[in-house]
Amino acid sequence: MRKVFWVVLLASLVGLMAAAEEPCLVVGMIIGGAKDDGGYNQAQYESFMRIEELIPCVELLFAENVPEGEAEAILEHMIQQGAKLLFPAGFGYMFPALSVAERHPDVVFMHPGGYMLADNFGTYFSDVQQSYFLLGVAAGKMTKTDKIGFVGGMPIGYVLGNANAFHLGARAVNPDVVTHVVFTGTWLDRAKEVAATQSLLQQGCDVIGSHVDSPIAIAQTAEAAGVYFVGYPSLAVQKFCPNGWITGLGLTWGDFFAEIAKQVMDGTWKPAHIRKGIEAGFIALGEFGPQVPEQVRQIVLTFAEGLKAGILHPFTGPIRDQEGNIRIAEGETWGPERMGEFDWLVEGIVGQPG
Amino acid sequence: MSWDWLTWLTSGAILYAAPLLYPALGEVIEQRAGIVNLGLEGLMLVGAALAFAVTAETGSPWFGVLAAALAGGVMNLGFGYLVISRRAPQLASGLALMFLGFGLSAMLGKGYINALIRGLPRYQLPGWGAILFNYDLLVYLLFPLALGLWWVLFRTRWGLRLRAVGEDPITAFAAGISPAWVRYQAVFLAGLLAGIGGAHLSVGVTLTWSEGMTAGRGFIAIALVIFSRWHPLRAIVGALLFGGAVVFQLQLQARGVGISPFFLDMLPYVLTILVLLIWGRAGRQAAPASLGRVYYGTE
Repeated sequence: MRKVFWVVLLASLVGLMAAAEEPCLVVGMIIGGAKDDGGYNQAQYESFMRIEELIPCVELLFAENVPEGEAEAILEHMIQQGAKLLFPAGFGYMFPALSVAERHPDVVFMHPGGYMLADNFGTYFSDVQQSYFLLGVAAGKMTKTDKIGFVGGMPIGYVLGNANAFHLGARAVNPDVVTHVVFTGTWLDRAKEVAATQSLLQQGCDVIGSHVDSPIAIAQTAEAAGVYFVGYPSLAVQKFCPNGWITGLGLTWGDFFAEIAKQVMDGTWKPAHIRKGIEAGFIALGEFGPQVPEQVRQIVLTFAEGLKAGILHPFTGPIRDQEGNIRIAEGETWGPERMGEFDWLVEGIVGQPG
Repeated sequence: MSWDWLTWLTSGAILYAAPLLYPALGEVIEQRAGIVNLGLEGLMLVGAALAFAVTAETGSPWFGVLAAALAGGVMNLGFGYLVISRRAPQLASGLALMFLGFGLSAMLGKGYINALIRGLPRYQLPGWGAILFNYDLLVYLLFPLALGLWWVLFRTRWGLRLRAVGEDPITAFAAGISPAWVRYQAVFLAGLLAGIGGAHLSVGVTLTWSEGMTAGRGFIAIALVIFSRWHPLRAIVGALLFGGAVVFQLQLQARGVGISPFFLDMLPYVLTILVLLIWGRAGRQAAPASLGRVYYGTE
């Protein structure tokens, strides 16, 4: 009996001490899909968990599979639990999060890829299109049929930009490449993604790239057909295509998230649209697959160095669209801020931009 | 011009149609017995999640398919209890079943989103390249299954009883048939088939699980039943037409036909409406007469 008393006393003391040790910052994140989807949501989640590795005193609150209609309630709940920094980490959370931000001026919000700003609402994303050029370089070197394929979700500007970058990269090292582009019309319908990939195989494409939420089914279809695959937006998809894997791009925001957390803690955070690329660690090139020759690796890495050093600008004119009209004039360069503007595909791409 | 595209189209359409056809055949049985089940989507989701989870755990996709079939059957018996024994309205109960399936499948599949499995083994028809006509057994079984179902429904005593219950349960009861018992059998079979359809999607076609991965296929299956005018063999035609339209529009895109993908994406549905229009004009009403009505019984 006495033993029980001591155990209880000890437990309560430990509890009290734990309660006394306040976290230095409570940070919350909500995502629209599963945290291990091998794609966009996994990239967000892994970046988020990195905050705790870099700043051990933070407390992290996290919710996955949050529908847009429930976002406000869950963000409010996280604020009640003391969150001072929130990542509503899906594009569709922009307006729900903004209205929560309006009610809580003391809480900082960081939204991925949005176009709205407020005193306590900033945005972040990676310069994906610039880096997707590297996947094109790799694809252009690896293809034997000189045909590469791209499965897109919705034909919006950023997706068209990735398809364009993929093609431009391939053309930079292989002028004969033709890129076939197919849109599924949805961000996540894996059976349809399988059918879309097969329609590219039918055209003779032997390298497949993509921009959907989670390309697991595309990767497995490519693997089963014995063709090559490049991954995006999470490097975790590599395990679904171990043999045909060339390389990939992963969204890697962990260090940046920790930096934002520090800014919030010491009160130096300012709202801004933050877009950075491979040079700032916002996006990372994956490892190379077993079939990629050393020479190809060196070429891809050289281009990557060029991007990092700011020498290489993939969208530099003259660039023509499919009808042959000049869309980016000679001497002109489209930077990351214009990537949402694409409603055209580059000359040499087979497919319709919407 | 080579006829290659037609081979690819056929090959792709069959693969796309298969997971639609299992639940559609189940719904044919169910509706022939007079019950509309709008919950196929939920049954398919549970089947897909469970099949994937069991496959990931045991390493055997066939265990996965078996588990999915049983789970679909048992779950649909629950629906049957509501609409047969408790006489609940069928449409609302079906929707409830769908939502239950959404939640349950999300829970079942949660730990397996990132799992890597070996799917159902594939067997290739001889004489085609590396990718074409390379299907798992569930695809090959579909035609004999539909044929068998047609025979059972229209050529056996059991089928006659089932259809009699669907046309007029009171008369069937007067003839010594127990409408409830017949309907429970129909509901169980339909659940089995919907579960298999979901399983085929996750361990046959895509080799992944993701929440809501059926993406409306449960409802397309119901449309196929109406499209087929409650006939198993016509359901095959319908599923192939629909799957073919989806695959065809993707092919057109990949080939670079100058038509907007938004427009092309509409084609399968436009086609469905067109066929319904034409067949609707052509025909005698084939719907079972008591379809969707609550049978209050005579006991």
